[in-house]
Amino acid sequence: MASLSSEEWRAICDKFTNAQNLTDVESRNDPENDPFRSKYKARELLREIYCLLKSFEPGEGEEDRGADISEQRPTEEPVDGQTEDWFSRGFSGDSPAGLRAAKLGAVEYYLGVNHVDTEELSAGQEHLMNCMKLLEGCRVSPENVSLFIHGRNQLGILWAGRDETETAQGFLETAESIYQRYMKEDGSPPTDMTEYFTTGENQLTHQERTKRFELAYTHTMYYLAQVYKNLGETERAATYCHNTLQRQLRFNQFSPMEWALNAATLSQYYITKGRYMEGRHCLSAATVISGLAGEIPSEAAAQESETESERREQLRQKRAEIARCWIKYCLNILQDSKKLLEDNIGELDTDRQDELKRARRQEEEEEEKGRKSAMLFGSEDTFDSIASLEEKVMCLLPLDFTEARSVFLVGQNYVTQAKEYFQMDGYVTDHIEILQDHSALFRSLAFFEEDVERRCKMHKRRIDMLEPICKDLNAQYYLMIRRQLMFELAETYNEMMDLKLTLANRQADTQSLDNHTIKKFNHLCSASAKYFQMFLDSLCSPEGKVPEHLEQEVLRPALVARFRVARLHSRLINSAPSAQLDSLNKSLENYKYVVQYCEAHPEAAAEVETELELSKEMVGLLPLKINRLKARMEANN
Amino acid sequence: MYVNSSGAQNGSYSLTFLGKKVGRHHSVAPAGKQLAWETTVRTTQDPVVSSRAGQVPVAAQVLDDLPGSVPEIREQRPCPIIHNTQLDQYDNNTAGKIRVFCRVRPVSRIEAAQSEAIVVHKVDDFSVTVETPRGQREFQFDKVFGAEASQEDLFHDTNRLIQSAIDGYNVCIFAYGQTGSGKTYTMVGDKEQKNPGIMPRSFNAMFDIIQQNSNKFDFKVSAYMLELYNDRLQDLFVSQSGEAHAQPQSHGQAKRVEIKRNRKGVVFAQGAETKEASSAQELYALFQQACANRHISATKMNVESSRSHLIVGIMVESKNMTNGSVNTGKLSLVDLAGSERAAKTGAKDHQLKEANSINKSLSALGDVISALSAELPHVPYRNSKLTQVMQDSLGGNAKTLMIANISPSECNLDETLTSLIYATRVKAITNNAQRNVESKEIAHLKEVIIKLKSGQTVEEEDV
Repeated sequence: MASLSSEEWRAICDKFTNAQNLTDVESRNDPENDPFRSKYKARELLREIYCLLKSFEPGEGEEDRGADISEQRPTEEPVDGQTEDWFSRGFSGDSPAGLRAAKLGAVEYYLGVNHVDTEELSAGQEHLMNCMKLLEGCRVSPENVSLFIHGRNQLGILWAGRDETETAQGFLETAESIYQRYMKEDGSPPTDMTEYFTTGENQLTHQERTKRFELAYTHTMYYLAQVYKNLGETERAATYCHNTLQRQLRFNQFSPMEWALNAATLSQYYITKGRYMEGRHCLSAATVISGLAGEIPSEAAAQESETESERREQLRQKRAEIARCWIKYCLNILQDSKKLLEDNIGELDTDRQDELKRARRQEEEEEEKGRKSAMLFGSEDTFDSIASLEEKVMCLLPLDFTEARSVFLVGQNYVTQAKEYFQMDGYVTDHIEILQDHSALFRSLAFFEEDVERRCKMHKRRIDMLEPICKDLNAQYYLMIRRQLMFELAETYNEMMDLKLTLANRQADTQSLDNHTIKKFNHLCSASAKYFQMFLDSLCSPEGKVPEHLEQEVLRPALVARFRVARLHSRLINSAPSAQLDSLNKSLENYKYVVQYCEAHPEAAAEVETELELSKEMVGLLPLKINRLKARMEANN
Repeated sequence: MYVNSSGAQNGSYSLTFLGKKVGRHHSVAPAGKQLAWETTVRTTQDPVVSSRAGQVPVAAQVLDDLPGSVPEIREQRPCPIIHNTQLDQYDNNTAGKIRVFCRVRPVSRIEAAQSEAIVVHKVDDFSVTVETPRGQREFQFDKVFGAEASQEDLFHDTNRLIQSAIDGYNVCIFAYGQTGSGKTYTMVGDKEQKNPGIMPRSFNAMFDIIQQNSNKFDFKVSAYMLELYNDRLQDLFVSQSGEAHAQPQSHGQAKRVEIKRNRKGVVFAQGAETKEASSAQELYALFQQACANRHISATKMNVESSRSHLIVGIMVESKNMTNGSVNTGKLSLVDLAGSERAAKTGAKDHQLKEANSINKSLSALGDVISALSAELPHVPYRNSKLTQVMQDSLGGNAKTLMIANISPSECNLDETLTSLIYATRVKAITNNAQRNVESKEIAHLKEVIIKLKSGQTVEEEDV
């Protein structure tokens, strides 16, 4: 700073502080009709700084030339290419020329951001590129590395805004590799850009320098996550989201609830990919970190103050949301496992079960440990709590009832938690979705249960939780939900009916069924048919007219329901031939409907291929049976 | 809404929205439909708010349906029934559908003076084209209103929804678009109320219907009016100015308002005042009071008006005097904030969401993660109050009309729409039915068929 008097320097520093203040603080109060007033003022100050630096600091001859040359160089090549160069070529960052380039570059950077903020993108781009060009003459060093990263972050945002995602990607990926190389080769806390324009006593501590630098890189990760998302590279995008979260936690730059919800959301992504270990880790971290947001204020406290009430509401809601993510974890892992283990008619395939159990060997877990180290969340104080939460539920697919049950119980526990907040009154749809998940948990668990009677009881639990709600809900406002519930109830009754029969057959062996069993069976059969019918009725017009055309989203459900109703009617056990005849006719009617509908609407056939084929067969065969029954009835008369 | 959306993502959202292919209605409507539509339009009388002389021509409209709806519906009801306890004039299936009208406002004098290029053209009653730097794009709607369309014309096509609300439906009408595209004109009307918009006209229409049915039904009308600003609902019946005098810090202390529903489907604005109205004038007075409060709160907070949404909820309870049955319906009228703000803060798909420069929060990270897969089992965000409030009006059996207001020289119409659709996409119903869960049943039946075919008697074996 040979050629600048300390007074002049102080003036520059003041201007800079002013410009920062205008940009960050004042600009928030700008009036609607002059929204960039403060930013324009800041821009003027930055320009003045730039001119001052240019005129006052030509420095000691030769070393300065480098900077000038690089400034004059036109854009003959894209700025970002091999990172190698930045660590070897040019003059060192702490030389006078290097420092001068960094300072000028920083002013260009701030001018660039200023122009972008005020919607003058091309001018912004020019300044940012000037910054890059100035730095091109310098080697990466603690004095300038922060500017290297910040500048590219901004260029990344700028190009992405123009829909030039690949260009953005280039800048951001270069920023990433510069960071990594710098941390590997140097790693000392770099100068923050604001420090270029502070007087000696205002230098930052090492800790603060590191914090700011790391934050800039966290932003690089955050932007790259979006770039990859926009490019359709979801897997990579997820990794970068994960890294962003990891870094936020590591450098303690996060708000606990926001972080926890983001981690919980990420868990849902992993779940869809079947990566339960990652999903579990995210959820455990989400639960632990959400705890850092503090205790939920008591109801009494909430009544006292509006702030507390708001806080209570927020905390309860978000924790309940995290619980719901846990429910989905448990549910999905059970369902995935079921898919893997079921045979062609949806029963547990024990051969497959043995095979999978054998395959689940040590190495699998070893491999998971390797994967795990790359994704760990947590600081020293949270690490243990996260790990202990993880231990409470498995992340491998459960392969037998004991394992399935342990997952189920965890899920059920979260159901209780989630329901505490999402109560029926006020949160109808949420509450019901949780109940549906609870029912689905039972359904998955029942698959693993070998004892038929206990299996039956599990389905009964499903009925008990869903049936009252289906009855209670306003049919008009909750049409869609009720349709879902009707279908599920119909299927559950059907399932119970099958189980009762299996049980009866097993006990009675070859003997015919006793009256009590028949009564029970018929009850379940009718209940199932009733709900399928209710579903079908919900599709009718207010006058009860069956729609001529089924909307796409109800097409398959409606035809399947018809098919099932047909089936159920033919399964009713009637001792009286007349009643039997009646049932068979109803059955035929419904099979016919499926066939006729598909004839009238050929596009529907593809939706219900198997059902249609079977219905056609039955439409041909049932009349024979009906006729035989009629003949027998006449003969008996 | 549009069919030829910019990206595959958008396309899939529009396909699954409320289980309906919104915006495709015109494709099922036969060509002749347009004629039928046009001939009935002219029967409209002028429902002028101030005089309230004209009867709102509900009866005339029962016959013609919204464009593009399934033709058979009309045949179903040969004679118009004004108030029918059977819920609706049109088929049950229209519930849950979203209709999107597009209204192109006239070129303003300034624009004409500056000879701005007109980029939006109405092609026919169902589509507009927009010239973009990347070529021409066509957008399709349930109905397009050009610059020449009057307030009457527009209301004529929204009017029947008022009847639905009285019949017990959850009806929502909202306008959106950029600032200056004519939303407030569409919803509220001009300042002098020479050309009243949908809101005042709805008030009149509602009480007209009520009057016509007053000998059979006992009606009770009540309303809440809210402002949504900064993800916070404010009760507009509570005067901000009055409170401010008593307590300078009252803003942070304003009563918390939440919109909720109970199992009977009754929507209530918890913490907000609900006021009864016994005539259109009374309702309009309440509305004016709310607008005044909105204005005060806006200036006090130094709010850009374009960032605040106005939500008017009108509940109608009708008691059948013969059998005592009670029906509750709701009409939500929403004037959304300008959509361009959202675009600027990074709502556009391709833009990177920046770190907030002030508090360094990476607040959009959640959105990024949620966008990784369209099928996340649970998205723990109530991403915004607006979505929440709208969802309530969109889901299930609601009848919804969106009016996309666009100015002829601008073309930023898809942002808000895309995000709303994204936010409210509903999962396919009866998921169970979609999967092949009946394999057991099918296997069993296959056996039965084999037996039947081989001539075996299948009696109890069927079981």
